[in-house]
Amino acid sequence: MKALTIEKSNLNLLLQRFLEEYRVFGPIKPGSDSTFDEIKTIKELHLDYTSTVLPPKKFFHPPQETLFSFNIKNGKFTTKAIRYDDKILLWGIHPCDVNAIIKLDKFFLDDISDPYYKSRRKNTIIVALNCVEPSENSFCNSMNTGPYLNEGYDLLMTDIGTKYLLEIGTKIGKNLVEGLKLKTANETDYNEKEKRLKLMEKKFKKSMNKSWLNRIVRENTDHEVWLDLGERGGVANSFPCLSCGSCTFVCPTCYCYDIYDIMDLSLKSGTRNRELDSCQLVEYAAVVHNENFRRDRKDRIRHWMMCKFGAAAGGMNSSCVGCGRCIHVCPSKIDITEVAKTIRGG
Amino acid sequence: MNLYNPQIGVIKKIKPESSNTNTYTITFPDSKLQKDFSSKPGQFMMLNIFGAGESAISLSDIVNNSSIITTIRGVGTVTNAIISLKEGDYIGIRGPYGNGWPLDHIKDKDVLIVAGGMGIAPLRSVINHIKNHRKDIGHLEILYGARTPDDMIFNYEFEKWRRIKNSRLELTVDSLPIESQFECQLGLVTSCFPRMKTKSRNSIVFICGPEIMMRYAAKCLETIGFRNNQIYLSLERRMKCGIGKCGHCQVGLKFVCKDGPVFNYSDIKPFIHPL
Repeated sequence: MKALTIEKSNLNLLLQRFLEEYRVFGPIKPGSDSTFDEIKTIKELHLDYTSTVLPPKKFFHPPQETLFSFNIKNGKFTTKAIRYDDKILLWGIHPCDVNAIIKLDKFFLDDISDPYYKSRRKNTIIVALNCVEPSENSFCNSMNTGPYLNEGYDLLMTDIGTKYLLEIGTKIGKNLVEGLKLKTANETDYNEKEKRLKLMEKKFKKSMNKSWLNRIVRENTDHEVWLDLGERGGVANSFPCLSCGSCTFVCPTCYCYDIYDIMDLSLKSGTRNRELDSCQLVEYAAVVHNENFRRDRKDRIRHWMMCKFGAAAGGMNSSCVGCGRCIHVCPSKIDITEVAKTIRGG
Repeated sequence: MNLYNPQIGVIKKIKPESSNTNTYTITFPDSKLQKDFSSKPGQFMMLNIFGAGESAISLSDIVNNSSIITTIRGVGTVTNAIISLKEGDYIGIRGPYGNGWPLDHIKDKDVLIVAGGMGIAPLRSVINHIKNHRKDIGHLEILYGARTPDDMIFNYEFEKWRRIKNSRLELTVDSLPIESQFECQLGLVTSCFPRMKTKSRNSIVFICGPEIMMRYAAKCLETIGFRNNQIYLSLERRMKCGIGKCGHCQVGLKFVCKDGPVFNYSDIKPFIHPL
């Protein structure tokens, strides 16, 4: 399919088209950090952002959601499933986050498909945005998940100066831009994209050698780095881990959740809910009789890092995409790329 | 059907096992659900008490593949709520989940069963399976340990198990009250190994109990010549979903709920021994 271009000053045209069918969510910048939120006017959209606090995972696997409500009458219960049917369009998602969504899709929609994730995901359109300016902590190019995208989008935008190159990924994407009378992209536009992406690759400040990770998970489970991170003075100028769980909550591929009931005061009705859980919290692996399979902080931080290196039950579906959010939020300044370097002597 | 939504079950029968442990027989009021239900020894159910939550509980007997029989000790929020239920009360159920014991591997082999405390629950149906297929399976040896005689469950089965042809049962407790008449050995279940009849040749071992007991039992068996791949363990982990999505039950590269709860020792050995 042919690509198109749109002048930056004409973006409202796209927004109005999107709003005809979808609730539109995109990056906004209310303070010093960006966040994904609902866009109703073009002024709110802030496409030249580097990273957001929370990844777009919140649209498919929200921090908190109700699974169903229940009623109890004479000891017998009835349940009422809650459905999520909103059609939404995510605008301006960077390649690392799109790759994370591809991973979550593989995880949640495998042979056992999660009904809540599925209903939200199938109602979502993705208008991705290639990165031309990395955030100070990202290292997506070393994880092969950015800074440009090859799959997983309905429409893909690239900033090429005064306009955006608009590439079409799916039929839905094509239908969305049809009839907008946008210019067809020419060779100069493509060349400009190539040039900017090449330039982008040189701007990364952090990196993690992907070939190390296989060796770390096989050979370094008893490396002293884990004790340094968990109980001693930290690694590479970081402080020891506080087990706060921030890294897991901002990680675009962390999927773990807890399920709990909220009961009405009458004790006759309530809701069953789920919310994101964190393997860094001590209760995560606790069972009865005071048994805990990851009681020590070093076991928990190792479990998380190994998971991000691709060695947990979620496999590569929960592995790192190099967005750098965990580095940004860590109160102890723990940097996953520095941990890998410390172990592998980079 | 929504995977997270439990079905209504009704408690048909409660059989007391010890002061805080009961065996429950549960059926579906919905006859189609009841007809379609089938399970294997070693699988588990997610039992629901609305307001308290959900808990993973193993099936402690399989009759005609259709009944839901579980043995529950009141130790946490959900299990204590279940213990307070009466016959005729309703309970939410999902499942069965998990892989179950590899019963197709025990044909013509000697079977050693090592159980600790409540760990005998998912193994009772294995013992019954062997009883029902006596000619196809070699010697059966059951080593069952608990903290005190009162913590032992299925006491009424012991005589039946002793009468199984070509079998041996040994009971052991950590401590025995002075006035107790209970006939058993004193010591951990691993202390039964020196008297054990089962040889490492042509045998299969099934272990279930607290993880620390399974760790040592597997290690002891290893030192007396059992190969890792002859040993199967049924693991316990915190579980929220039962379908491999919530993440809590991860052991190394596996989900206990989906890939287990029964694992070959050779597959999980590096992950259950603390590093």
